[in-house]
Amino acid sequence: MADTIAVDSSADRYRRLAELLEEEGSERTIVRESLELVRSEVGARAVSAYVPGRSGYEMVGSVGRNEDPLHRDEPLSEDEVGNRVGEGFVLIHGAPDRRELSDEARLVLAAGLRLCRYRARLRDRDFDAKYRGVELEVMYDVGTAVASTLDLEELAEEILLRAVSLLDARRGALYLRDEDLFRLHRTIGGSAVEGVPVGETEEERDASPLLPGAEHVLSVPIEVDRRTRGLLVVGDKESRVGIGPFAETDRRSLEHFATQAAIALEQARLHREALEKERLEREMELASQIQRGILPASVPEIPGFDLLAWTRPARHVGGDYYDFIRLPDDRTAIVLADVSGKGVPAALLVSTVHAALRLLLERELGLAPLCELLNRHLLRFSAMNKFVTLFLGEVDPRHRQLHFVNAGHNPALVAGGAAEVDWLDATGVPLGLLPEASWEEQERDVAPGETLCIYSDGVTEATSPEEEELGSGRLAELIRRDARTLPEIRDSIQKTLREFTRGSPQGDDQTVVLLRRAD
Amino acid sequence: MTENLEVRVDRREGLAVVYTEGYINNQGGEQIASTASRLMEEGYRKLLLNLEGSRIVNSIGISILIEVLERMLELDGELAFCCLTNTIQKTFHIMGLTQYADVYPDETTAVEALTPGSSE
Repeated sequence: MADTIAVDSSADRYRRLAELLEEEGSERTIVRESLELVRSEVGARAVSAYVPGRSGYEMVGSVGRNEDPLHRDEPLSEDEVGNRVGEGFVLIHGAPDRRELSDEARLVLAAGLRLCRYRARLRDRDFDAKYRGVELEVMYDVGTAVASTLDLEELAEEILLRAVSLLDARRGALYLRDEDLFRLHRTIGGSAVEGVPVGETEEERDASPLLPGAEHVLSVPIEVDRRTRGLLVVGDKESRVGIGPFAETDRRSLEHFATQAAIALEQARLHREALEKERLEREMELASQIQRGILPASVPEIPGFDLLAWTRPARHVGGDYYDFIRLPDDRTAIVLADVSGKGVPAALLVSTVHAALRLLLERELGLAPLCELLNRHLLRFSAMNKFVTLFLGEVDPRHRQLHFVNAGHNPALVAGGAAEVDWLDATGVPLGLLPEASWEEQERDVAPGETLCIYSDGVTEATSPEEEELGSGRLAELIRRDARTLPEIRDSIQKTLREFTRGSPQGDDQTVVLLRRAD
Repeated sequence: MTENLEVRVDRREGLAVVYTEGYINNQGGEQIASTASRLMEEGYRKLLLNLEGSRIVNSIGISILIEVLERMLELDGELAFCCLTNTIQKTFHIMGLTQYADVYPDETTAVEALTPGSSE
């Protein structure tokens, strides 16, 4: 075991120290040289000097080869030092010849140690002041730098890293609320329990089980609008000599930090939602453009007939679709389809139906076989639970006839002629539901003055504020009564819809195709 | 993030590069300090700390890094850092480390600056 010599000081020694300081440079130089003096005086192999610092006795100088276990860079604890206190002490290693020092050696050594201790205090204070700056920066930064990322995983890690660093914690965990559970999102420095139930008052929660193995645990809630969104947990406050409990000031610091973190999390969440909404709107607009491109730019001329179409989607992209396709012998196919659902999936299905119908109509199969092929195509390629109602008519101007199939669509109506109202009911089930389904093609003469109205259920199911539906009867009456031009009938339908719904939200696409025999 | 800091050393001509992985706290800082001491005893006077694998440092870790820096300066040596996160770089700046230790964005730039004339 090494011996020690206590070092003290007195007023006159300080006066002489001043003279030495003027001649010499840094305190470390003074200590190193004085240690050389000590080593030569006592005949030791190695000597090193220690002064009390914030986290124990810190070695401020050493000369010679010292293998004593106490000779190390880390501070020595009070237990290790025992009663070797004073301005500091010198550790002598290797069988000294004598244990007394000259006055000069004692003086220089004491002065050097005193200066070292003074400088160490200044350095500690300087360090503390600067680190307060880091803490303030962390607090300030968390609301801006942390919120610059929209990735929740990245954000959670950044918050936890900063909290653990701010508190000098050895460990940490971040929990985010998932309904009635705080679910573990990130850990640093060790494991944490996976989830804890919500319900306890977070301020009173015993946090110690959250970080198994930790001796000291501090937990604060992350609150947004007085609702707890998560828990910020840190464990084992570090110092140079080990770990210890967190102080009340640490709790307050963590609470302030959690407030900033909550704002950052909330901002990121709202930002992500806004971006997602924007993305969906862009997607819908794109799909809407595609669907608008599918709809015919103009109505074709059919000798002896007037033709008009109008559609109003409930959202950017709807499930309604109409088309006119020129066929040989002046015939024209008229299509009105309503696919299940709305939005982008509906638009994709409309696209499929549109392309398939055009290809199949070119093959002149007849309307019923065409429906069977289209049905098989949809069953094969469209998503589950997707179906299409379709009214497919073929106008033959030479014979003033309408051939049609109605695949589960609303009954089209013919009004304005001799008969009151003729309903062209479904001649089969909707397409895309049953693999073995079949459809019947029907034909009907179109008399002078008669108007065919094909419509989607968004028209007849338009709802008033009293939740009453417009109904097909009102539509039929309107066609029958307003037997004027087709644009006038369209305007009348639109006006009726406006007056009936009185600003109620439009629940479904509204599409109308009108065909009138002109002569 | 690993529980304990992992330290790896690449000894080169006139320069040792120390790579860290994990939390630079008390334990991590001491690991870096003892590695640096060993390298100084081996005669290295230029140390580059590549902190690419460390995203977090606390006040204890910083105080130890300052001590390493002081020891290196006493030996008229040079300590430099590279690949710091923005947060760590800001912290080093506030703590004054960057007054005495150069910080480089990447290892190639750092090595070129510390050992001019030599190639990687």
